[in-house]
Amino acid sequence: MIETPHTIQGYHDQIHKALQNRFLGTALGNFAMAYKGSRARAFEGLDLDRLRQEMARAKDQSLPRLMELYKSFKARAEAAGAVVHLAKTAQEANDIIAGIAAENQIRHIIKSKSMTAEETHLNDTLERNGYQVTETDLGEWIIQLRHEGPSHMVMPAIHLSRQQVGSLFSDVTGERLDLEDIERMVKVARKELREAFLTAGMGISGANFAVAETGTLGIMTNEGNGRLVTTLPGVHVALVGLEKLVPNLETALKILTILPKNATGQLITSYVTWITGSVECQANPDGKKKLHIVFLDNGRLQLARNPIFSEALRCIRCGACANVCPVYGKVGGHALGHVYIGAIGLILTYFYHGTDNTRAIVRNCLNCQACKSVCPVNINLPRLIKKVYRLVLDDDSEKPAKNILVNTVLKNRKLFHGMLKAAATAQKPLVKKSDGFIRHLPFILKKEHEFRSLPALAEHALRDLWPPIRYRLPNPVLRVALFAGCVVDFVSPEQALAFIKLMLKYNVQVDFPHNQTCCGLPAMMMAEEDTAAEIAAQNLEAMQPEKYDYVVTLCASCASHIKESYPRLIPPSAGLTRLHDRLIDFSSFLMNVLHVKPDQFEKSGIKIAYHSPCHLCRGLNVTREPRELLSTAGFTYTPCRDEDVCCGFGGSYSIEFPEISAAILNQKLDYVMETGAAVLVTDCPGCVLQLRGGMDKRGSRIQVRHIAEMVAKEMKLG
Amino acid sequence: MKQADLVQKMTEKAGLVQAVVSRIDSFDHALAYAVNLTREKSLNTLTAPGLNPEDISHLSALCQNVGLEFVSPPLRNHLRGIHTALTHVDWGIAETGSLVIYSDSEDLRIATMLCDIHVACLSASHIYPDSASLSTVLKDRMGAGPGYLSFITGTSRTADIERVLTIGVHGPLKLHILILEDHQP
Repeated sequence: MIETPHTIQGYHDQIHKALQNRFLGTALGNFAMAYKGSRARAFEGLDLDRLRQEMARAKDQSLPRLMELYKSFKARAEAAGAVVHLAKTAQEANDIIAGIAAENQIRHIIKSKSMTAEETHLNDTLERNGYQVTETDLGEWIIQLRHEGPSHMVMPAIHLSRQQVGSLFSDVTGERLDLEDIERMVKVARKELREAFLTAGMGISGANFAVAETGTLGIMTNEGNGRLVTTLPGVHVALVGLEKLVPNLETALKILTILPKNATGQLITSYVTWITGSVECQANPDGKKKLHIVFLDNGRLQLARNPIFSEALRCIRCGACANVCPVYGKVGGHALGHVYIGAIGLILTYFYHGTDNTRAIVRNCLNCQACKSVCPVNINLPRLIKKVYRLVLDDDSEKPAKNILVNTVLKNRKLFHGMLKAAATAQKPLVKKSDGFIRHLPFILKKEHEFRSLPALAEHALRDLWPPIRYRLPNPVLRVALFAGCVVDFVSPEQALAFIKLMLKYNVQVDFPHNQTCCGLPAMMMAEEDTAAEIAAQNLEAMQPEKYDYVVTLCASCASHIKESYPRLIPPSAGLTRLHDRLIDFSSFLMNVLHVKPDQFEKSGIKIAYHSPCHLCRGLNVTREPRELLSTAGFTYTPCRDEDVCCGFGGSYSIEFPEISAAILNQKLDYVMETGAAVLVTDCPGCVLQLRGGMDKRGSRIQVRHIAEMVAKEMKLG
Repeated sequence: MKQADLVQKMTEKAGLVQAVVSRIDSFDHALAYAVNLTREKSLNTLTAPGLNPEDISHLSALCQNVGLEFVSPPLRNHLRGIHTALTHVDWGIAETGSLVIYSDSEDLRIATMLCDIHVACLSASHIYPDSASLSTVLKDRMGAGPGYLSFITGTSRTADIERVLTIGVHGPLKLHILILEDHQP
């Protein structure tokens, strides 16, 4: 039985257990690593961006006409001898299928893999009605024997070791098995399941496509069980989500081209089976297959009409959003989803399995954008996860305290900044002067938060340092406004000072508009969109982008939030367009606007590892500039494993899920230490905070710096 | 793409998924290949649904000569006893090394799923570059009433235990593709 915690406390217990499972961590880590390579090889030579756009468009065109496609499918499939049903709810689908079994006096049913049947908990209904049900996909059979749900959409038993499977099979067959010998285990499954294929009276499958123009089902499998399930028994029932309807074969073939590559890095699955109507089947007296196709609505038609969430129905169930999710990589699918797992699972659970099952898991997103970057149908998964979080908050009467706090404080800049200044004073006894870390954690934090040292708030915020250092150049080459963001302003003003030093050298006039405030991303992360919108409007007014050539930020998270979310949050205006177009990150500004040259820097050759912030490499698609800047500034850039994987910070995420944040951070730091670099550089002050705190905690001599600081340090004077 | 290039790509891609690909220049070679392979592997039975009567009588004679049992349809009576299946292939897809087989006949489906070794004979002139270039042909077939159409790419496989690739979980343990050079442009 799948049991997903309904409370955040229960959820932490589940996470704790998952993190202690060492096999899980290793298995998922190896998988994530292998997946990236095989996916890249599979797509070699293909225009992936174009394919993704085409698929997203094709899906979007189908969604408003699902009923039309259904009618066309039904007419053609029934003309070819099938019976087509439409179930409004999960229960109705299960009842229809149980009814078909009863009508045909079935005792034993075999199944090939179907996520839709998992969604409706079909096996439970059938077993309650006295039918023997055997899953025939190897992974599904394993989890069926263990009474578990799948932990991955494509590899349902990825959480289990060969030893666990070996002892399970030994118990089931009564044969002692070598617990290392996977090949033997697979042979055992072949033998056991072959009997089931040959004796069952009914086969149940899912489908990857339902082609409306011909009434054809398309089913992809690697094991070949799909062909056996649909051929040997006299009755075949296919349970299909309505969103699997595609208008024509061309669309289905496009999905077929992309799905296996994106799922496992395979060019195509071993078997693709296309079934149109009732074909020859000598198990029945009339020599014809009894084919029933049950389409499942279960909220899909309503979802298809939803202007925000219809996008989620584009999903083709490749599982890639889990494959690249750093949280999934640490806790696995049972702790990151309900029936559907991974990023899409956090979204679909709400619509198919309700608020209670969504409440805790939906908060477990770092907003690192990795899922979005591999989604083959361009679903904006991180955005929809926050939108679902909002729905959950609205359903529940009790709001988390941090949401109340954010709504009250962030909207009011003077109050917010006043509180930060008061905190800077209050923390003084806790701060170790020499390194700027807080040495005694404030009482609101728990032991789990001790995985990184916390930086103290700066004694003087950037906004207080600013008036005395404000300058006016007579003939600047450019005028820019600095959007500092909270961390630079109140924790790390030295990063801004480094930037100013460089700008003086390049004759760039910098202004620091005083009324700028938090970019609003923390509010978005807590699904407080109204607050985020108010803040966006305040910043737009404060920054006066029309007065400047560029608005530069040292924070990738602020930059990507302003670029991506402001246009959704506030009404269009000339100022907003200018802010959007002229907002630029530090590295891009130096490389692409100022065109800095190697002869302007000392050649220290210091060995540097680089962490690519999520919101820079995926949020803003900036990948080349920071690495080139490091080389230009005379450093030896040393590539590191998983440079573009999240550091585990995620703003308030690291406070809410410190145990996962720590696990992700530690892996990152291990990889950095493997490089032998002297300094770890990144271009997001939030990442600096996380990485530096982690390095300090492990007593490492590797320094962590914002790229602006390192580049400024190497600038030749004069 | 020229036929020679298509054959080459088909061979390469099918090889990547553990299919054994050979070239032959007459269908008689396919018959001999299937018989020899069955003997080599010390297997006893062979079936060949979908062949024309002349080829069948030739094949069953070959089997008889070497002491193999030729299994005749209906195959539902022999679900547990099919070792080698020899079949024609309707189309090849070079891009993925896939075989397209019109499998409306139940015997053809049973043979290609329950055998240990599938020997599949594909005419070189029937190889298409990719699935999109075959879509009109497939669509006509699907629109023509009840039908069961299979894409087969390599052998049955799983990676469900610790992601270790293991061949032959449910379907054939081996796939041999014989490309018949039929010298068409």
